[in-house]
Amino acid sequence: MRFNRFSFLIFLALIIYMILIGRLFYLQIVKGEYYREISNRNYIKVFYSNPPRGKIYDRNGVLLAYDVPTFDLIAFPYIVRENYKIQELKSILKQLFDIDLDPKNEEVIQKNLLPKITIKKNLSQKDVENFYNYNYLLKGFYLEVVPKRIYTPEANYLPHIIGYVGFPTKEEVEKNPDITLNTLVGKAGVEKIYDNLLRGKAGQKAVLVDAFGRQKRVLWEKDPEKGNDIYLSIDIRLQKIVYEEFKRSGHKSGAVVLVDPNSYQILAALSYPTYDLQKFYEGFKPEEWKALTEDKYRPLLDKVFNGRYPPGSIYKPLVSIAALEEGVITPDTKIASGPEFRIGNYRYRNWNKLGCGYINVAQALEMSCDTFYYQVGLKLGVDDIYKYTKLFGIGEKLNPDIEKKEAIVPNREWKRKVLKQGWFFGDTVNLSIGQGYLSITPFDATKIVVPIANGGKVLKPNILSGYYDNKKQMFVKTIPEVVRNLKIKSWNLDTVKYGMYLVVYGPHGTAKALRNVPVRNAGKTGTAQVYTYSRGKKHAKWELRDHAWFIDFAPYDNPQVAGVVFIEHGESGGSVAAPLMASILRRAYKEGVFEIK
Amino acid sequence: MKKLLVQNLKKLDFIVFSIYLILIVFSVVNIYSASYHEFSNLYIKQIIFVIISLLTVLVTTFMFNYRWLSSISFYLYVVGIALLVLVKFFGTTILGAKRWINLGFFQLQPSEVMKVVMIIFSANYIASSKLPFGIRDFFKLMLFVLLPFFLIYSQPDLGSGVMIVIPVLVMVFLAKFSLRYILVFALTFIVISPFVWSHLKDYQKNRILAILNPESDPKGTAYHIIQSKIAIGSGMLTGKGYLQGSQSKYYFLPEQHTDFIFASIGEEWGFIVSALLVTLYLVLSLRILFIGKETKENFGKFLCYGVASLLLFQAFINIAMNLAIAPVVGVPLPFLSYGGTALITFSFMIGLVLNIYYINQKETFQFYTQENEDY
Repeated sequence: MRFNRFSFLIFLALIIYMILIGRLFYLQIVKGEYYREISNRNYIKVFYSNPPRGKIYDRNGVLLAYDVPTFDLIAFPYIVRENYKIQELKSILKQLFDIDLDPKNEEVIQKNLLPKITIKKNLSQKDVENFYNYNYLLKGFYLEVVPKRIYTPEANYLPHIIGYVGFPTKEEVEKNPDITLNTLVGKAGVEKIYDNLLRGKAGQKAVLVDAFGRQKRVLWEKDPEKGNDIYLSIDIRLQKIVYEEFKRSGHKSGAVVLVDPNSYQILAALSYPTYDLQKFYEGFKPEEWKALTEDKYRPLLDKVFNGRYPPGSIYKPLVSIAALEEGVITPDTKIASGPEFRIGNYRYRNWNKLGCGYINVAQALEMSCDTFYYQVGLKLGVDDIYKYTKLFGIGEKLNPDIEKKEAIVPNREWKRKVLKQGWFFGDTVNLSIGQGYLSITPFDATKIVVPIANGGKVLKPNILSGYYDNKKQMFVKTIPEVVRNLKIKSWNLDTVKYGMYLVVYGPHGTAKALRNVPVRNAGKTGTAQVYTYSRGKKHAKWELRDHAWFIDFAPYDNPQVAGVVFIEHGESGGSVAAPLMASILRRAYKEGVFEIK
Repeated sequence: MKKLLVQNLKKLDFIVFSIYLILIVFSVVNIYSASYHEFSNLYIKQIIFVIISLLTVLVTTFMFNYRWLSSISFYLYVVGIALLVLVKFFGTTILGAKRWINLGFFQLQPSEVMKVVMIIFSANYIASSKLPFGIRDFFKLMLFVLLPFFLIYSQPDLGSGVMIVIPVLVMVFLAKFSLRYILVFALTFIVISPFVWSHLKDYQKNRILAILNPESDPKGTAYHIIQSKIAIGSGMLTGKGYLQGSQSKYYFLPEQHTDFIFASIGEEWGFIVSALLVTLYLVLSLRILFIGKETKENFGKFLCYGVASLLLFQAFINIAMNLAIAPVVGVPLPFLSYGGTALITFSFMIGLVLNIYYINQKETFQFYTQENEDY
């Protein structure tokens, strides 16, 4: 017989047809009773169990955040409605748990509209006891464990850094098989950044439940995986000192960051004012929330990473290094720096009307001499200032996980693009003392001081000192990463460091307050103009006052800490920001956070 | 006038048309049931789609000439590809797959459009080639097939991608493509399939593995399969009754109005109706295949072959998937699954087949009458 393609196809179709009908017959007729049994009286229920989320510790193992279980009372409507009359059900719930069944749930139970509903959230201890004691009365109910995050009082010193957790949206659950609607996931701060480490995996248990909701047989089971504990690089003792000293200083708003300049691990990071972390997570009352969002000192804003401000004179060490490295000046070059500097009709004044005299770069740093930097800046040019700013990592996220905003670093191209204007000499003059369009986060300020303190290395900043890997059963430490080595010539670096030393110890130094720190240290003040005519005058309006900055590293010879104090509209770097840094360091040394070698 | 109507109706293929009517009415009935507990108005949308589809069928049957498509088949292909590329950039993502273009009032699914376009294009291609179909032509045609296949496969939507390829292969087979080559290709496929396996996405592998051993990963993929089996099995001989399916009503059965509508039908209507439904698909497809066989002109013939094979394979794969004997690949059940684009394009195909029958009957009839007048 010849091979007929057409008949072959029909034959093939008939074979598949027979298989389908056969299978249908097998499922519905042969095994029909069995499946009817499962679907009628036995239901498959999938129970999820959420493992505890990893704990958050500080670098020394002080607990900041952990989980506790809470219990929700859940009902299966299709089981409940078969076992109770609605009145009977109401009285049981009332007697055992003091619950008045809400009409919506009542409708769901009577009409069997949903497979499962939550009757009451967050049961009390007594409710839970009652549930187990009177279990025989309850058909179609079970307790679901829902984790709750607890933040320790210590965590309130750094609410912006910790962030918060919440429950995921339906979309997130659909995308990720390891989480359920009751899994806590990080929404902000380190809770979000290290969510993958902290979260763990939800477990599943599918069981056949009978018409009374009792578990009859486990069909399959997947064990939950506990989240990893993480250890922040924050030293909570230091964080506490920073917070308390800031509060004691009486200033309203600002930020403090202290880092280890050798590893660029963040030891303390305060955005002030703070808020109550636990309350934030559990939900404020409307009026509390309103007060928080309308507060002019903006407690909800993480000023360390999210606020951008003109840096003012703390920028001068960076400009000095650029000028020295580019050969515009040498450590010994002296420049006559009077009370003002002119380009055409424009006058650029020194902050001190007396001028500075005939001085070198170290002295210019000591006195924070504006007219010196106007001249150096002009010789250097905007392109080189821009180049060195970028080299220091400002205007770039050295660690995109933790940094939220990049600094605005202006150059010709930026101005053309954003302001549609050409670059003027005056812009360079302003830029050379950290004014004008330049705008950095308080964290960016540490990028100026860290390479100066550690010998010219730009490192990747970190807020995690390590975590305990549950799978590998070992502690994984964060290793410092060098992003780039600036290779600053040692004599240039020493000159700038010496200039910063003079800021504290020199006869004309602007930060003499730091002399009472028990170790020798070096710093730089900054008073950044906010409003054009504000210089040197005290403004009645807080919003128009100058910003106060101070950067510092200590000890001078072998730095173990570097950092920045920023006080929003604090008016004076020298007499406001520097004393706060002094009191923080003094206490830190006194209380043994840092050892005096 | 009455005579004209009767004459026209005589040229309508009643088997195809009546099965089509039964299926679309049944679709509204079941989508109402499947979305009943979600208080959803999906069934109203489905009614609108059904009305549009019915109009499409009537217009295509009586006021159209399928041969017009032959001259524009290449442009149709270009438009089809353009839509697939468009969905890559402007597509709506639902459950991780980018398959729809949002037109505001309607979510267009270009892969469904491509199914019919591919059949028209291939039918024209084969009809204008020398038969038996040669190897050179085969490779050229394959290039045209693989482009949309990969575009759809990357959405990702393996099921629809396969549904683009299968009708073309059947058409080529019926175009007397050398059996020797077919044998060679089949062997090559067997050899390279392990490599393809290693390139499948994890969820695709899991779905295939879940068939082999459903208990291994029940919540991930076998969940669908186990629940579908319970739903169908519990329907027994006569079903639990309309709107009474507990499996589907308590959300045990996922995607009950799309890919798993057959399971919810099996649960509520039982073995008799389910078996009848499978039979309807078989009869419909075989009837279309025979219409193709009797059509003298090659373009119409291969169009019918393509439509018949698409219908049969898609229906059977979907049903097999519901019965837990094929991987869950996301192929909807023609006419019954919810989805406007698919319903309208499948209706257009039914219209085309009826039109082919209609036009060829008319021509035969005219031919005979002319002959009669001569005598």
